Amino acid sequence: MSRADRSSNLARWALRWAVALMVVWALVALRERTARADLKPLVWAADQEGGGPYVYPSDEDPGRVVGFEVELAERFAAHLARQASFYQGQWDKLPDLLRAKKCDIVLNGYEWSAARADAMEASIPYYAYALQLLARKGGELRSWVDLSTPSSPPRKVGVLGGSAAEAYLRQRLGERVEIVSYDGTTDAMREVETGKLDATLQDTPAAAFYGTRFPLLEKVEAPVGGGFFVVYAAKGQTALVHALSEKIALMVRDGELEALYRKYGIWNDAQGRVREIAEAGTYYGLSLDTPGVAKGPLASPASAVSASARKHGLGVVAAYGWILVRSAGLTLLLSCLSFPLAVAVGLLIALGRLYGPRWVKAPLAAYVEFLRGTPVMLQLYFIFFFLPEVGINVPAFWTAIAGLAINYSAYESEIYRAGLLAVPKGQMEAALALGMSQPLALRRIIVPQAVRMVIPPVVNDFIALFKDTSVCSVVTLVELTKRFSVLSQSTQATAELMLMTAVLYLAMSYPLSLLSRRLELSFGRALS
Amino acid sequence: MIEVRGLCKRHGALDVLSDVNLSVAKGEVAAIVGPSGGGKSTLLRCMNGLEAFERGAVLLGDLELTAAAQGSTPAATLRAVRRKVGFVFQQFNLFAHMHALGNVAEAPVHVAGMSQASAEKEARELLAKVGLADKAAAYPHQLSGGQQQRVAIARALAMRPEILLLDEPTSALDPVMASEVMAVVSDLADAGQTMIVVTHQLGLVRSVADTVHVFAGGRRVEHGPTEAVFSAPAHSTTQGFLAKLRTT
Repeated sequence: MSRADRSSNLARWALRWAVALMVVWALVALRERTARADLKPLVWAADQEGGGPYVYPSDEDPGRVVGFEVELAERFAAHLARQASFYQGQWDKLPDLLRAKKCDIVLNGYEWSAARADAMEASIPYYAYALQLLARKGGELRSWVDLSTPSSPPRKVGVLGGSAAEAYLRQRLGERVEIVSYDGTTDAMREVETGKLDATLQDTPAAAFYGTRFPLLEKVEAPVGGGFFVVYAAKGQTALVHALSEKIALMVRDGELEALYRKYGIWNDAQGRVREIAEAGTYYGLSLDTPGVAKGPLASPASAVSASARKHGLGVVAAYGWILVRSAGLTLLLSCLSFPLAVAVGLLIALGRLYGPRWVKAPLAAYVEFLRGTPVMLQLYFIFFFLPEVGINVPAFWTAIAGLAINYSAYESEIYRAGLLAVPKGQMEAALALGMSQPLALRRIIVPQAVRMVIPPVVNDFIALFKDTSVCSVVTLVELTKRFSVLSQSTQATAELMLMTAVLYLAMSYPLSLLSRRLELSFGRALS
Repeated sequence: MIEVRGLCKRHGALDVLSDVNLSVAKGEVAAIVGPSGGGKSTLLRCMNGLEAFERGAVLLGDLELTAAAQGSTPAATLRAVRRKVGFVFQQFNLFAHMHALGNVAEAPVHVAGMSQASAEKEARELLAKVGLADKAAAYPHQLSGGQQQRVAIARALAMRPEILLLDEPTSALDPVMASEVMAVVSDLADAGQTMIVVTHQLGLVRSVADTVHVFAGGRRVEHGPTEAVFSAPAHSTTQGFLAKLRTT
């Protein structure tokens, strides 16, 4: 058996493997869908990235989420005689998920605001929050007055991007401080500890929950500002929202809500406002804007759910190794399913552009230029969040596969175009002179040579795509990079997690490089 | 067997071929000679449809390649003509990703629909015929130029062409390798293969050609039996051309 034969056997084997993977995944997805159809779960969207005490990865099983909103969701679902199903989304994109019909409700510390209540249906509040300023213990920043005193350079204050804290700071202090926004809550707290930030403004629940994790931080004055967290549902879902409000009112009356909040150490006197609203049975959309809403000290954690102590070294590997490996599996699956598609489509585009009839050439050129010229993240966003509005609802996993395949097909087509053009003209002439039709000559003579020539750049792109799968977190998939980010937020074991993540990426991409080199050697020999 | 009638071919304003007539009978070996740029190779390429032409026709049995002016030849006719007309290129053009045996067996299997086994059996016989029985598994880049050209001839013969067109088959080869290829062409001539060969090798013309056609400036300026043309060239181009070739 020649080397070329062996290599083509290898390629055939890889193809079979990819098809098998696809079939397995389809079966799993189908089973999940039928199971879902039976139960009609209440799909609630939230972001577990830095989400304590709201929604965060469980310590025992980091693939599961815990938090007071998880418990709320379960109670809501039970009230509706449905099963609660968690849907991971990026915090600032949660309303988009509602609009795209990916979830039933958004339950993740979303403040009531007139604009949001206009675009979505809001329940009565389930929590009255305020904003707590945190600074370094023993630092010079002792009060809000200190913060608002102009200094040069301006003081830096970290906030969760798009949160009420950010809006509050912008409105009150505007140009006097530099506002730095983060994707997760704990990022900003760590940056205050390390001295990169002067202070951070946090929701009272987060400030209370992570207080133990960041011993170098202290509260500056009493909480300020504030408002209410409500559950949002899609416009028109009035019956659903009504049922949720009903359940909140019931939990307030039974003391169930207070018990839950005490468990997470987030109960305080301000929750009296929630009680008033629940008892009134209506919600007027009142926004409490006066400082000091949350009067009285935050209650100390009663039966103690709080941020667990930071793990170190091998402890991190033991606790989070398996979940990272599982997320790496998703990364691998995404790459291995989307890339063959990208290659096949890319080759067809290249052939169309070089040998196709004139009327396909211009559209194909436009396709390539458009896809190369726009970010893959935007394309994924379009498929996932926009297409549902015109009736095409693609699940996250297939959105990622399709988006990556379509985006990379543009790059692959350019590689193949170069490869096809590099095959000497005499090869086509010799094939035609033997009586071959042009399609047969392409299939038997030209394409096989072009494919062999472009192996190195194509494998290079495969490795690039492999790492580009991390953008799939915008369509709510928790692949390796997103998992790293989520765990790093909830555990602060950033160094260990980063190392493990890098090792996993390398362990997957290095064999690819080796395979490429072997293919190159065996094919290259036949073409030099 | 094959007939070229009033063929005209232009490249922009340049007349590459002007009103060319040429006819080759079954079993005949015709040589096309003349100074470079005289349209010899272009004529050969027109005869199997690798190049289109503006006026005239190429007739092969009841098949006809028509000029672009009369609407181009249908693709099916083009393929039918090419199956009957073998072509050997100056630069060999072996399929780089296939070994010698694969090159020879490719068209019989994928164009003529022969089984892989019998195509390979015939391919081995053809490789033996051109003296390369031991090179069946060699890739083109592992063969010398002369060996590649002999594989290319075997590849063309595998389709059992009624006529074989050879476009300067020895021009890219050094004298030793050229003589290997010339020996193969001689054998074919002896076996009665109809051929048209464009060449500068006078030795080849003398040993295999029944007729000679002299081209200059896109026109056939002289033609006739080889001996007659060589011994008493009538046209000044022929005289000058022959004289120049003899001295080199």
